[in-house]
Formats: sequence, C-alpha cells, structure tokens
Amino acid sequence: MKSARLFVLTTAIGLGLSAALCSHAVSANDSVNDNDDSSLVVAVRRLTEPQYRQSIADVFGDTIQISGRFEPERRELGLQALGSATLSLTAAGFEQYFTLAQDISRQVLSEQQRATSTPCTPASVSSFDQDCAAQFINHYGELLFRRPLSTAELDARLAAAASGTQQSGDFYTGLQLALSSLLAAPEYLFRIERAEPDPANADGWRLDAYSRASRLSFLFWNSAPDAELLAAAASGELLTNEGLQSQIARLSESPRVQEGIQAFLIDMMQIDGFDNMVKESSIYPKFNQLVADSAEQQMIRTLVDLLVVKERDYREIFTSNETFLNRPLAAIYQVPFASSEEWAPYTFPESAERSGIFSQIGFLSLYAHPGTSSPTIRGIKLHEIFLCEHTPEPPADVDFSAVVDSDAATSRERLLDHMSNPGCIVCHQRSDPPGLALEHFDGLGQLRKFENGQLIDVTADLFGNKFVGAQGLGKFLYNDPRASSCLVRNVYAYGAARMPGSAERTYINTQIEQFAGNGYRVPALFSQIARTPEFFKVVLPQGVAKNASSAPDTARAQSQQQGE
Amino acid sequence: MAKNFNRRSLLKGILGGATVSMGLPLLNLFLNDNGNAYADGSSIPTRFGTYFWGLGLTDTPAGGTRWVPQKTGLDYEITPELQAIAALKHKVSVFSGFRAIPDTRPNLVHWSGHASILSGVAPAGSGRFDAPTLDTRVADAIGGSTRFKVLDIDASISRRPISYSTRTGSTFASPDQTTVALYRRLFGDGFQDPNSDHWAPDPAIMLRQSVLSAVTEQRQSLLRSVGHDDQIKLEQYFTSLREMENQLAVQLQRPEPREACVLPDTPAEMARAASVDVVNSNTRVMARLLAMGLACDQSRVFNFIHTGGTSETYVAGQSKIYHQITHDEPTHAQLGYQPESSKLAGLVMEGFGAFLEELDAVKEGNGTLLDNCLVFAFSDTGYAKIHSLENIPMMLAGGAGGRHKAGQHIHAPGESVTRVSLTAMQLVGAPVGEFGTGSMRTARAVSDVIA
Repeated sequence: MKSARLFVLTTAIGLGLSAALCSHAVSANDSVNDNDDSSLVVAVRRLTEPQYRQSIADVFGDTIQISGRFEPERRELGLQALGSATLSLTAAGFEQYFTLAQDISRQVLSEQQRATSTPCTPASVSSFDQDCAAQFINHYGELLFRRPLSTAELDARLAAAASGTQQSGDFYTGLQLALSSLLAAPEYLFRIERAEPDPANADGWRLDAYSRASRLSFLFWNSAPDAELLAAAASGELLTNEGLQSQIARLSESPRVQEGIQAFLIDMMQIDGFDNMVKESSIYPKFNQLVADSAEQQMIRTLVDLLVVKERDYREIFTSNETFLNRPLAAIYQVPFASSEEWAPYTFPESAERSGIFSQIGFLSLYAHPGTSSPTIRGIKLHEIFLCEHTPEPPADVDFSAVVDSDAATSRERLLDHMSNPGCIVCHQRSDPPGLALEHFDGLGQLRKFENGQLIDVTADLFGNKFVGAQGLGKFLYNDPRASSCLVRNVYAYGAARMPGSAERTYINTQIEQFAGNGYRVPALFSQIARTPEFFKVVLPQGVAKNASSAPDTARAQSQQQGE
Repeated sequence: MAKNFNRRSLLKGILGGATVSMGLPLLNLFLNDNGNAYADGSSIPTRFGTYFWGLGLTDTPAGGTRWVPQKTGLDYEITPELQAIAALKHKVSVFSGFRAIPDTRPNLVHWSGHASILSGVAPAGSGRFDAPTLDTRVADAIGGSTRFKVLDIDASISRRPISYSTRTGSTFASPDQTTVALYRRLFGDGFQDPNSDHWAPDPAIMLRQSVLSAVTEQRQSLLRSVGHDDQIKLEQYFTSLREMENQLAVQLQRPEPREACVLPDTPAEMARAASVDVVNSNTRVMARLLAMGLACDQSRVFNFIHTGGTSETYVAGQSKIYHQITHDEPTHAQLGYQPESSKLAGLVMEGFGAFLEELDAVKEGNGTLLDNCLVFAFSDTGYAKIHSLENIPMMLAGGAGGRHKAGQHIHAPGESVTRVSLTAMQLVGAPVGEFGTGSMRTARAVSDVIA
C-alpha cells in the first residue's frame, strides 16, 4: 500500500510541474480562442454509434479499427435522433468509450502512422516539444470538438502530454494521452450546441456558427464538419445567408450525402435490432444471424437505391417491388439466385405479393414473435414508422379475465375473439387491420396462404378504408397524406433534434407542399429544410444559467427565431 | 503445508515483501475466529444485488395464489411456484401482499411495479423513472472501493439490452449480455489477482489517470451555461468518469487477498435463443461468473436481469411467448388458476434457484458468499393476467453478513413495496432513513427481518 501511495504522489508532482510549463507555452499561442462567455448551451446530444465511427474515419482515416461495445440508443417519438438528446453515459458506457479512446490514440500514433498523423516533427522523440504538441492538439481538437479549443482545454491536454512524455520518455506516448483525453471528453462524445446573443435582435439568440456547421454536417453526412465547413464557421460565412446557402449546396451535392440520408432512413424506419433477433429454431429452421443481417441490408439497399440513387417519389417505398437479394435471402423468398455477385437487383413478380418495404423479411421478422407473426405489433409499427401515429400504452384496467383462450386456427380469428372486449377494441381496431393485411407472411416473413390448414384472409378495414393484402396496404399508404407529412416532420426533427410543435404548423405545411411540388424527392427535401431559418431556430432550455451579459430571463422555455 | 504457517508469521511474511507460495484454500488462515472478518480486522464485505424476473407469479381470480405460503414467519412451506428455492429457503425471506401505489399516476403496464420498488416513485410515463434507483444509492454507500461500482448483467437474450438501473431516469445502465462479455469485463484486461504474490502497480494506469484529469478540469466551464436537463446528463457523464477514476485508483492499490477467489475458465459462447431453458442456463453461467467476480472483490453491487417486464421467453418448441400466455390463457375451471402460466412461472423461478445456488456454492469465511450477500429479487407485477400492482412477489436472499434474519415469510397485505426496498437498503448499510413519495413514502423498514 505504501509503495502505491508514494507512486501516486510522485505522479501528482510531475503533473503539477508539467501543467505549469504548459501554461507558459500556451499563453503565447495566438491560434487559441476561448469560448464566448455569453454563449449558452442549448442542446446536448450524445453521438450515435454511426456518427462516432464516421467522425473517426473522417478525422483519422478509415484504416482505424474501432472495436468495442457502444451504449444502447433510445428512441423518442420514433427517432433515435430525439432519444440521443435525452441520453447520457453510464459508468459501463464511459469505460467502453475510454478504452476506445486509448485504442484509437495508439493506432493514430503508432510508429507507422505518426508521420502522417502528426502535423510536425518533434525536436526530439524522447523529450517534450511544446509547439509541436500544441499544433497536434489544436488540429485534432478542432476536428473532434467541432470548434477550436479554448486556452484552458488546450492547457489541460498539454499538461497530460507533458507529464506523459516525462514519465515514459517518449513524446508520442505523451501525445497519445492528450488525444485520448480529447476522444473521451464530453465535447467529443456529445454534440453540444451553443447559442449566442443575436446582434440583429436585441433580446434574441441565434445558433452560433460552429453549432450551425455541426447541424448541417450531421444532417447531410452524418458526421462532423470537415475543415472547409469549420473554416466557414470561423470566418462568419455561415452566419450570412449567402454563405449558408453556398455550404448547403456543397454538402448536398457531395457524394457523401448518400451516407447522411441513409442514416436518416435507418433511424426513421427503425432498421435496428437485427443483431439480437431471436427465432425459435424448431419453428423457423431457416433463420440464422446471416439471414437477419441480410434482411437488414436488403431494407437499407432498397431504400437508398429508390430514394437517394434514383431519387424517386418517396411514396413508392409503399408500392415498389424492386429490391436486392443475396443468396441467404433468396432461399427464404424461395426464388432462384443465379448472380455471381454477393447482391443482385431483383424485381418481385405480382404473385409474390411483395411490394412495399414492409413486405420485406426485415420488417416482417423484426415485428413478430419468436414463434409466430404478430398482426398487432406490425400494425402498431406501421402506424408509428410511416404515419407518425403512436399507439398509447395498453391501459392497465383492461379486464383480461374476460379474455378466453382462442383455439381458432388463424391470427385473425384469434384477434377477433379478443375484439369482443371493449377495453381492447379501442386500440386494436386501429393497430390490427394493417397487420392482418400482412398475414400472408409468417413470423420470419415467409409467404404462406394457410395457417393451421385454414385459408388466411388478408382483407382489412381500417376505419372504412378497405384494402387487401400487402399490395392493397401499399396503395392505401401511398395515397395517405399522413405519410409524407410524417416524413417531413421527421426530417426536421432528425436535424434539429426537436419535433416541430403546433406553433410551427404553418411552416411544416409549407414544407409538405414544397416537398410535393418537388415530386416527393427526399434529397431535395433535405436541402429545402436546411435552407429555412426555422432549421436553426433556438429554443432555450429550462433553467439555463443567466450569467450571460445580455441574456434574457430564461426562467421558462422561450424560443427565439433567428433572423437572417 | 498449511500447518507450517501460523496466521501471524504468514501475514508478516507478506507485509514484509517476502515471496509466499501457497494454495488458495489455505488463505482461510486470514480469517478471524468467527470467520466473518480477516485477521487484520477488516470484515468480509457485504454485497448487494437486485434480481429481476418478468411477469410476477400466479394468483387466481378467486383470490387464491400459487406462490404465497400459508405460514408466516420462519419455516414457511414451499408452494408450487417457490419450488426452485426449496433447498435454500432458510436463506430466503419471502414478502407477499405488498403493493405499488401510484396514487394519481397511471398504472403503466409492466413498468410502474418495478419502477416503484426501485425508485420509490410511480413514474409519469413508460420508459423513464422519476428518481434514481436504489442500487445506485447502495453503490454510493458500499461500492466505492472496488473496481466496478456496479455490475449490470442481462441474461434474457432480448432484442435490446435490459436494465432498470438509472441515475438520471432516462439513461439506463448498459448491461453485459453474454457470458463471454461478462467474463472479459470481470477477468480480462485490468483484472488483478488478489492472491497473486507478484503484484506491482502498473505505471500505465497513472498515465491513464492524467487523461481523465484533463477532461475533469473542464467540468465547471462546461456546466456554467447549461439548462436543467442537460446539466443532469453532463453530471451523469462526470459521475461515470469519476467511477473510472476510482477504478484506476483501485488498480494502483495492492488488492486484499481473497480466500475464495479463483480465476474461472473462459465460458463458452452461449446459445442465442430466448426459450426459458436457455435463459436459465445463461443465468446459471452468468451467476457463476458474477459469484467469482464478487469473491474476487471486483464489485460489491450488481443488478441481474433474468427476463424483462414483458417477458418474451417461451417453452422451447412452442409458438406463444410467456407474456401472451399470461393474458390469453383462461383460468382452468377445475384447477382455479392458469396452468400454463403457472408452469412458466415455476420455470422462470428455476432461474432464480440456479442463481442462488451459484452464490451459495462459493465458500467464504465460515459460510458461503450468499451469506455475505443480500439479493433483492422482485418482479414487475403481481397477477400478470390483469397487470396487478397488488401482491408483487419480492424476496430477500442471503445473510447480508449476518444482518438479515433470513428464511421468513412476511405477509403484509396493502403495504407499500417501498418498505421492502427500504429494508434492503438498510440491511446493507446504505444511509437511507426514508424512501418513496406519496403513499409509497415510508420510513418503516420491515424490522422482523433485521437482526
């Protein structure tokens, strides 16, 4: 015990000395800006796993291996983008990110990589070079924090680098520590958006330039801003209408926009949970993890091809029979697979009853039980994902004692038996019909016409709207105006991390009209929304500190629209 | 060989830095005469954990039950659904009749029950708790000196990780979900054998400490201008960071020798199926790893999920899941209860039985690891068919280092579940005098089980 205490004491002394040295060095560094004291934090969103991965690849190159477990995401109002604004890091989560930070730093500063990853060469590898360390920390700090480091932030990393060099006798070990501390910092792991007093509006606030850069970059590329976008923020260009439009054009015309829109589609369509999908093997012997992974990929490929590559009408996701197949999926769809490629385009014939994204194995198997289909779950998810209509939690006072176990052959009959219960019917009359239209697909998504020897009826009646099977459901959704309205609201909420409220109804309606006018093309919708001032609207959070020199009283949530 | 040493000479040898080579079982020489403390006066630590299973146990519409014993106090009889704890019933107290009381809040199905037990508050909405969970309070009291303040384990093989442990109410712990992941966490990088004769502090750990110091220094600056909700999120981040700092500090100290600590073999990858036999099998293997993690003093607090609130487990080969069955299955006219649901409840309890067996299999002091643990086991609901918040099954297992007068049946119809929560916290020494809000606010622990 004694020896450990002595060891710690020595380190503390070392750190103190190093910090003193570094502060001296930094005071002469003109490139460092402090955060404006008058700014307020208006949003804190945890990076999602794809955002973390993409940011690392963009900053350090895609050869960096990232292996570790990420914290589970959370969905609010159907979107992880909204859930991310409610999440923090647990102790186990921090442990993982801390390990990742050290692992990434080791790779970035490995002997092979350091020549390209370090913007300078130290005077000596075995001693501390303050100028070189400061260059390194400032360079990566700005890319990772998505804004320049403050003097204090730089100081703290220089102290870590100096003491690390001193203890290990290796300059690059010191840099590793500094980089690890950037990667483990909340400023990297969370997207921290700031507002500043709006000079054009005496009591108003506007999103600061770096927060705008991040909002745009994550919307279009699902990653941190690149150097050009950060430069546009630094110069003030992003605070001018002309500069903003120019950057939006650049981002939206980049090939990287495909990744950005794909990330949105995965979020909105809830294409996740495939890693942990379980099916009862005696009932679905064809199911395995490869099938689950393939089903996930099929949904993504279908959506991206239709909406981003071909820029087709959004509503075709409900009716299109064009997709992609690989060999494991072909076995379950029971179609031949002759391609020598891993994936091949495929168009389902009419008889397959496969049209619309919800008729794919991914949707059908995800929203089912381990051993059966579930018209109720499928119906709830169809309403939630495509129409933004959320089913309330089942009431606790439903008299289940009146429910009798049905021995009926088909799901429809079993559900109809339950419909006699007035406590159940309120929600089930809405959730079940679209699910019943998909009953030609079992719990794995395999086509079937019979259940327990009885012909399955796939007619549906949703409050007077009658349709038959997956194709009928697809046409119903294609013509339902709630579907495009849901998409528009989701794009806004995804980018701004806030579901538009009733005060923004007119704004959203205008966006829906423009979306329709543009032929329901999703990439155009992204640009259209990003170009509106409402996309950067500041909503001051409750209880925000009021120490800013010109901050208005913010005892209650107050929103200010920035004026361009 | 043990006879060649006495306790004093052995300790002197170790403290003096002498090399001592000996078999692990001989380390009981460290114990005092009572077997509940080490020779240097430090006691064997008391550990605390929660154990959750979904869908309660079976009651009947006529007011009967398949699990509540008739007899109260010691030596209660084993009912059909408690069969799995029969062998250890003298170490398990069963609590019946307690209820969650949401007052004006709704009964959020498969949520309000365990939220009330864990946080003392019936939450306003599903997916969130309105107060921190009790395990975090216990961890703050007794979990600070080990590598992991809390271990979170999910054996359910669900689509998404399940944890009901939270400090903020919205961010829940991320549990280890596989046997291999749990093994790596406990015994992989960073594990230091407490019985090793060749311990030396790892200089790399001190370098890692400087990384965290650089982050912590910015805390005040960051928190200066944030709103209320964001502050809670960022404070949780810094709490997690402090736990990492603590982990590193612990690793810089020579660990106390632990009699029962034997590095286990790497477990096999587990089967990925949610049927109850597989979940129970995972539960046993994960419990075995956890037990050794506790014996090696890697943590003193844990949360273990067997199955989630709306349990998706099922009997292998059958198409209906347990949750569906609890609602759909009619009450059998002759039997007076739901036979299939009751059978599944019994199977689910076999998981708990296996869990306790594994903790009881590790010898520690003059007793077992279980004697030095308090496991607070409970479910989300009483009679699952009607989402009842009445008669939620709860149990306290283990001796809590001698403080738990175990093996009793406490029947208290209408009393708040929070009384048992408070009892659990007090039994392991958490400084909590009162727990819960509204009708669930209580300062009355169940004194019958406190020694």
